[in-house]
Amino acid sequence: MIVTVTLNPAVDKIYWVDSLRVGRVVEEEFLTRATRSSTSAGGKGVNMSVVLSQLGMENVAMGFIAGSAGHVVARDLRAKNVTTNFVWTRGETRTNAVVLEEGQSRILIFIGEAGPAVDANDVKHFIRRYRRMLPSASWVVLAGSLPPGVDADLYRDLATMAREAGAKVILSAGGDALQRGLEAGPTIVKPDTREERLLEGRSLATRETILEAGRHIVDRGQAEVVIVSHEVTGDVVVTRDAAWEIRSSVPASELKNLVGADDAFLAGTLFRLANGEPMERALRFGLAAGVATAESEGKVCGDVGRIEARMNQVTVDRIS
Amino acid sequence: MNVREIMTKDLTAVESDVSVRDLIFILENAEMPGMPVVDDDGRLTGFISEKDLIRAALPGYFELLHSASFLPDLNQVAKKLTKIADDPISKYMRKDVFSVREDEDDLRAADLILRKDVMSVPVVDATGRLVGRVRRIDLLRHFL
Repeated sequence: MIVTVTLNPAVDKIYWVDSLRVGRVVEEEFLTRATRSSTSAGGKGVNMSVVLSQLGMENVAMGFIAGSAGHVVARDLRAKNVTTNFVWTRGETRTNAVVLEEGQSRILIFIGEAGPAVDANDVKHFIRRYRRMLPSASWVVLAGSLPPGVDADLYRDLATMAREAGAKVILSAGGDALQRGLEAGPTIVKPDTREERLLEGRSLATRETILEAGRHIVDRGQAEVVIVSHEVTGDVVVTRDAAWEIRSSVPASELKNLVGADDAFLAGTLFRLANGEPMERALRFGLAAGVATAESEGKVCGDVGRIEARMNQVTVDRIS
Repeated sequence: MNVREIMTKDLTAVESDVSVRDLIFILENAEMPGMPVVDDDGRLTGFISEKDLIRAALPGYFELLHSASFLPDLNQVAKKLTKIADDPISKYMRKDVFSVREDEDDLRAADLILRKDVMSVPVVDATGRLVGRVRRIDLLRHFL
């Protein structure tokens, strides 16, 4: 069984518009009507849980939720056949507002709230529940930002508990949470590069710098596998024995919605790894899942048929 | 159809040493009228509901009265609730808990809900670990 931890989940509110009108003066018309919209549970681990469930893999989504938005998250996940195990806290689960242009993949606006503060008592309750899940977990996913009030060491502590219980760990985060989390030696690390393209202070700007930073992490035993998004439809993967560049030949013009594509990639890779497949094949399936998601109007796509249809448009090249 | 196919897959539960105050917060926010109690292995050990807490806050003789109008006022209920707020819920939970196994027939869950007049029934696996719950609404949605 897989446990996904999203400590700061969100309601993802996506609006599609024909064009965005921004008013500059009071008199100017600036009303933009959405052609359509969607509301769904969000956050990196949450998105991964949805894909895993669509692929038929048992998983439990954990984290903190609060207020009416917390109910939206829990209900949406249960409707998608994900088992929920969240700790209720004070405040209101955050909402991410995303504006997409019809027919385009680029995100016009992404506004992410900080999320409700979580106190030490909440963390204590969470850890107790988390420990209960570990004996039956083969993989644990620790993903996304930490909520306000939570110590940056939390991912490190959760990863350590998981490793001690015999579970493999995926850490997908940024900043201090990533830095500290590396101290626990997660199995796979995927830096969140949306805000800064850095890993342990090293640049992740080019394929060469990614390779260098990845090797630095792997050689020091801080992770077995480092995965870094390189371009929109490409990633660089570094392990102790090899490095690969994986890319998709699907033209960017066919991509409709990049929200969640990265999470679908990681979930697809995890799905195949958890089924015992080697890294190279798992990565190919993972990127196909990411592309299938980016091509779909929905936020994530875990449809095996659509994913497999994209497999022949994914190349995995060994680069080291 | 078996229980697993109709249950709500949610593991929200409390441990027996959680305080009454914390439980009230969780019940209110999770919008659940009652909650399973589990041990550190996730095994079902009891159940506690709003009703159990209200009963605990009422005077011991309340159930002998024919009507609540015989109570002098509700201040003593408020005082009692304040007094027990930091107590562990183990003092007030029901330990004679009933449950259904995830591989049992859905009719067994319906039967328990009707006969015991409860809002939901905890669902456990073969080892007694909590895996979900069947609510009245799950049955209605399923049978429609």
